[in-house]
Amino acid sequence: MQQTSDSSDTTDRAARPRILIVEDDLDAARAFEAAVVELGAEPVVMRNFADGVKAAGLADFAVIIMDRMLPGGDGVEAIAKLRAAGSNALVLVVSALGRAANKVEGLEKGADDYLAKPFDPEELRARLRALMRRAGMVSLDNDVVVFGDLQIRMKARTVHIGQAHVAISPKEFELITYFARNAGEVVTRMQLLEHVWKLHFDPQTNVVDVHVGRLRRKLQEVAGRPVIHTERGVGYIFDPVRPVAQAGAEPQVTGGAP
Amino acid sequence: MTLGLAALLIAVAGLAMALQYRMTARSLEAEQRALLAADLAAFEALYEQRRIPALRAAIAYRVEGGAGAARYLLLDRAGKVLAGNLAVWPEAISPQRVAAPFQVAGQAVNLPDGRYLASAVELPGGFDLIVARSSDGRLQTLAGLRALILWVLLGLSVVSLLLARLVAARVLGRISAVNTVAEQVAAGDLTARVAVQAGGDEFATLEAHVNHMLDRILHLNQATHRLSDSIAHELRTPLNRVQQQLAALPADTGAAQEALRQAVRVFEALLDISAAEAATGERPGLLPLDLSALAAEVFDLYAALGEDEGLTMQVEITPALQILGERSLMAQLLSNLLENAIKYCHAGDSVTLRLWAAGDQVVLRISDTGPGLPEELRGRLFDRFSRGERDQSISGHGLGLALVQAIAARHGAKLSLPDSADGQNVEQNKGFAIQLSCPKLS
Repeated sequence: MQQTSDSSDTTDRAARPRILIVEDDLDAARAFEAAVVELGAEPVVMRNFADGVKAAGLADFAVIIMDRMLPGGDGVEAIAKLRAAGSNALVLVVSALGRAANKVEGLEKGADDYLAKPFDPEELRARLRALMRRAGMVSLDNDVVVFGDLQIRMKARTVHIGQAHVAISPKEFELITYFARNAGEVVTRMQLLEHVWKLHFDPQTNVVDVHVGRLRRKLQEVAGRPVIHTERGVGYIFDPVRPVAQAGAEPQVTGGAP
Repeated sequence: MTLGLAALLIAVAGLAMALQYRMTARSLEAEQRALLAADLAAFEALYEQRRIPALRAAIAYRVEGGAGAARYLLLDRAGKVLAGNLAVWPEAISPQRVAAPFQVAGQAVNLPDGRYLASAVELPGGFDLIVARSSDGRLQTLAGLRALILWVLLGLSVVSLLLARLVAARVLGRISAVNTVAEQVAAGDLTARVAVQAGGDEFATLEAHVNHMLDRILHLNQATHRLSDSIAHELRTPLNRVQQQLAALPADTGAAQEALRQAVRVFEALLDISAAEAATGERPGLLPLDLSALAAEVFDLYAALGEDEGLTMQVEITPALQILGERSLMAQLLSNLLENAIKYCHAGDSVTLRLWAAGDQVVLRISDTGPGLPEELRGRLFDRFSRGERDQSISGHGLGLALVQAIAARHGAKLSLPDSADGQNVEQNKGFAIQLSCPKLS
C-alpha cells in the first residue's frame, strides 16, 4: 500500500482537504470516516438530508459522500440544491439503490461517481482517491502526457515508449487514458467498466481483466518492464516509472508534465 | 348499432300501422256489406208481402229520392227494365237463385261510374234484382289512410335518424374520451385520467370507475417501486455491515466477500427482473438508442474474453440501427447472452453476433457451436433459477435468461430460439442460437 505517500501528495496541494459525509447508517458512516482519514483528508459527518445540504453550503469540501435513502430525502435530489448553492464539491453517491438503473439515474442527476452498497473498502478508497485527484487537478487537456519515457498523445490517440510506437486499439487507448488520469493509484475493475465502457452492472466474468491484460502485455513488450501492475484482489496500478527491482515499494509518483 | 335500432323501431311502428290499416279496411268493408244486406233484406220483405209492383215502386221511390251511393236494377223475365237507376245489367255478375231469406254475399263489380259492391238475386217468378253500393268512399278513406301511414313512417324515419345521429355523437364522444385515456395508459402514462362529466348517468359512473381503477394501478405500481427500493435498502445495509467487518479482519476474507457479492448479484437480478416486468409497456425511460453501436461495444468487451478461451468470435452488424431502449438494460441483455455463449462453449467453438434490419424490426442473433441446449431445459429455459444438470459446475445463478426475457419484454421485443447456428449443426443437435426482434425506430 502506498497511501502514505499519496496522501502526503494531496496534503501538499491543499492542506487537509475536507470531505463531507452524509449518511444515516452508523457502520457505513464509520467506514467512510476511516477511508477519508486514511487518505489524509478531514471527515465531517452529517446524519440527515437537511443537515447535509446545510453543511455543504457552509464550508468548502473537496468531495461529498452522499447516501440516498436519508431521513428527510434522497441524496441524489440534494445534488441539485448543492450546485444551486454554489458548491463545486465532487459528489460520490454511495447507496443501497445499487442497480444499473439507479446508478444511471444518479449520474444523470449530477453525481460524479456512484458506488453501490455493500462496498469493498478498497473500492471506496479507489473511488475517493480518483475524485480527490480530480478535485485538485488541472485538467488533462494537454496534448501530450508524459510519464518518464512513456508518452500519450491525446489528439493523435497514440502511445509511444521512447521512440517506439505501441500499437493499441481505440478501446485500449481509452483505457490507458483513464489509467493515466489515475496514475500511481489503484484503479478497480468496476471503475474501469463504469468509466471506460460506461457499463453499470457487475458481470459474472472478469471481462475487464482480459483487456487490461492485453494492454499490459503490449506496453510491457515495448517498454521491457511492467507498466501496469496488479494489486491483488483490488485492481491495477498504472505506474510506468516504478522501479522494476522493488515493485510495490516507495513509488516515485510522477504526475503528467508536458 | 344505433341506426339498426332505429330501423327496428321504425319497422315495428310500420307493422303496427299496417295491422291498424287492415283492421280498418275490414271493418269498413263489413259495414258496407251490412248496408247491402239490409237493402236486400228490405226489398225481399217487400216482395214477399206485396210483390213486384210494390218493389218497383219502392225502387223508383228510392231512385227518385236520390239514391246516392246505391244502384238498383229490377228486370222481368224477358230482361225488360222494371225499375232502377242502372242502364244495363253488369256482365260480371249473374243473379243467383236462392231460397229466402236472400243471403247473397256482396261481390266487387266495376260499374261505369266506379267500383261497387253488388248482390244479385233471381226473385221467385223469374225477376232479376241487383242491389249495389259504391265502394268509392271506403276506398278513398283507405287510400287516405295509406298515405297518412306512409307520411308518418317517413317522418318517423327522419326523426329517428336525426336522433340516432345525435345520440351516437354524444355516446361515441364519451366513449372515445375513455378510449383515449386507455390508450395513453397502455402506452405507459399511468397518470392519464378521464374527465368525468356531470350528470351522474351510466357514462359518468364508467368514467369514475375507470379513474378509480387507474388510481389503484398507479398506487400499486408506486408500491412496487417502493418495495423493491426498500428490499434493496433493508438487505444491502446489513450486508454492507458484514462486508465492512469482513474487510477489517486480519485474515484473508476474499472468498467470503466474493460470496457476498454473489448474493447481491442474485437479488439484484431478481429486482432487475421485476423492475423490467413492472415497467413493461411503459414508454418513460426508453430513449432512442443506437443498438448497432452498443452491440459492437459489448461484443468488443467480450470478444477478448472469448478469444482467450480459444473461441472464434465473429460479428456482423448493420450500422446505425436505432431502437427505443434503455441503454443499461440492453447492455445487460447483450452481456448476459454473450457471457452464456462463452461460458458454455469449448475451445474451437465459435460465437457469432449478428444484427440486421428486417422490415420494421431490428434482429439480433447470437449463435454458437457449443453443446446446445440440454433436453431437460427445453420449455423452461426462461424460468428463474433453471439450470441444466450438466452445468452445475459452471458458475451462474440461473437468472441470466430470465432477466434477458424481462428486458426483451420491457422493450416490446420478441425472443425466439431459431434452429441453432444457422442449421449447420442441427443434425448433431449441437449449437445454440437465440434471437431478439425489436421494433425499429425509423
